[in-house]
Amino acid sequence: MKAALFSPVAYHGNASPGWPVPADVYSQESAAHSFSTALDRFRLGDELGFDWVTVAEHHFSPFSLTPNPMLLAGALTQVVKKAKIAVLGPTLPMLNPVRVAEEFSMLDTITGGRVIAGLMRGTPNEYVTYNVNPEESRSRFQEGLQLLRMVWTEPQPFGWQGRHYEFRAISVWPRPVQKPHPPIYMSGSSPESGEFAAKNHVGLGFAVTTLGLATKAAAHYRQHAEAAGWKPTPDDVIYRCAIHVADTDEQAQADMANMPPQRRFSISNPALEQAVAGTSYYGRDFEAQRGRVGRPGAIKDAVENGQILLGSPDTVMKQIKRIRDDIGAGILDLIFMHPEDAKARRAIEIFGAKMLPRLHEME
Amino acid sequence: MAFQEKFVEADGFRIRYLEAGNGDPLIWFHGGGGLQLNKMHDLLAEKHRVVGFECPGFGESPVNERTKSMAELAGTMGKAIATLGIDKFSVSGISFGGKLALWTAILNPDKVTAAVLFAPAAIRPENTRPPMDPAQLRNMLYAHPERLPPMPPPNPELIKKSIGFALRIIGPDRDAELEARMKECKVPVLVLLGTEDRLIPTTIGRHYRELLPDSHVVMVYDAAHALDVERPEACFAVADDFLARQDKFVVSNERGVIFP
Repeated sequence: MKAALFSPVAYHGNASPGWPVPADVYSQESAAHSFSTALDRFRLGDELGFDWVTVAEHHFSPFSLTPNPMLLAGALTQVVKKAKIAVLGPTLPMLNPVRVAEEFSMLDTITGGRVIAGLMRGTPNEYVTYNVNPEESRSRFQEGLQLLRMVWTEPQPFGWQGRHYEFRAISVWPRPVQKPHPPIYMSGSSPESGEFAAKNHVGLGFAVTTLGLATKAAAHYRQHAEAAGWKPTPDDVIYRCAIHVADTDEQAQADMANMPPQRRFSISNPALEQAVAGTSYYGRDFEAQRGRVGRPGAIKDAVENGQILLGSPDTVMKQIKRIRDDIGAGILDLIFMHPEDAKARRAIEIFGAKMLPRLHEME
Repeated sequence: MAFQEKFVEADGFRIRYLEAGNGDPLIWFHGGGGLQLNKMHDLLAEKHRVVGFECPGFGESPVNERTKSMAELAGTMGKAIATLGIDKFSVSGISFGGKLALWTAILNPDKVTAAVLFAPAAIRPENTRPPMDPAQLRNMLYAHPERLPPMPPPNPELIKKSIGFALRIIGPDRDAELEARMKECKVPVLVLLGTEDRLIPTTIGRHYRELLPDSHVVMVYDAAHALDVERPEACFAVADDFLARQDKFVVSNERGVIFP
């Protein structure tokens, strides 16, 4: 198995509720601190032997200060020397796919081929960001992915007469180092996404989900991949969850006591969420997919559901084994969740020293 | 736009054609299955005088045992075009007709202003042949056959005659004579390829870029070999723009102002 260290670069200062989140109590110092903390952690993770470092795209909220994850990935090319840089990922339906291809190609060139290309549809609220109709989410995504692949592989200039995109002449420079192109992953919790990923031979990532839902979705993906004539390996499946690890179970539990409640900015605007739910955004598995991004429950339940890994190294290894066995995930994308920097950093160090070697031995 | 059925005598053949519209003449050559026009041609006929020929040997015309090559057929069709009094024209065609359109452009550089080739069969992957079984053929021609209205089953005898003739004269997968001529082609050429086409895949497009001095390749997303049937508006828009502006079509002239 492989481990990725993910940071959304959360803003740890005060913030008003809602979404888009007002910047009325915004602190520049807090934001600067958030970035320096995140960069330190990415550097530490690289030094400790994490296989990947992960960045993501989110907008208009303190949950994440990386509306353009490509920019942070660009900075990471100068900080992270060994690990792959996984951008999981640009919200493709809202962006210019040619630009996305160009940015990934730049990163792949600068790193000598250490970039992972995750392509996301974005959370419901994010359709407001660049004023894109969520009804077109899947069709824009699907077309964007086909276009991106052709942009990376077609050696002669070409035009594109799509449904959503039209270009007369494309020939990107630089070209990706990895051939035919960087590994592609997409978010795959819904049946439609799993089917599309299987048909198009791309990896699948699970986030903001549960072990049970991801297990079912991964089985669906494998079934459709088999029908398409290929067999996903563990490296084709990413599972993202939160983690806190300490020297003992007791210490880990104690660290998590009195945690401030988690806020889900992406669903904190009910009118917006309902408007998106009224479109085809969630797809045919509407109830499960809409409920998947619901409010977080008790920590104990989150641990049981595989949303949080919590405990001593031995305990967490057992929890990881469950993820590997049930979902078949080969890449664990970890958010070191403790809000206190010292405790989060300590958890990263414990994970690096005591768990990474064991994780790498797991098939 | 209603197309009128007409006939023209040329080069010893009685050639059927369908015509509609006014404006600059645009010649259309059909694929191996014969002449069938669709919504894209209706759209083109709103701006052009569209003349869709049925090549001798297709449809209800007698078996054509005389024509030996695509270049020869292009010669015959050039005479038919001249007989109609058309001096300057654009030429287009799909698959078999794409190769015929390309030969027509090469043989008539002073008459042809631009060529638009739809999934042209001028350069083909090695040993790829359309299936003769109607159900298999339908699945090969369309990315989404389920989205199309029911069509009457093709007359198997006519299909056999048409495809047999097309395969007899189409030439090799890589046609050295044609490719040598392509390098000297003075006509601006647009090649349209369906992203789901398994007969003429998108990777074939690069050869046109390499061989034709003045060419553009545009991928038509989510369409297979019969891209004009599956994405008529998309095909019309790019073809019409190219016919109007040739190489300048790479520069957008779409208005970006959404509210005055």
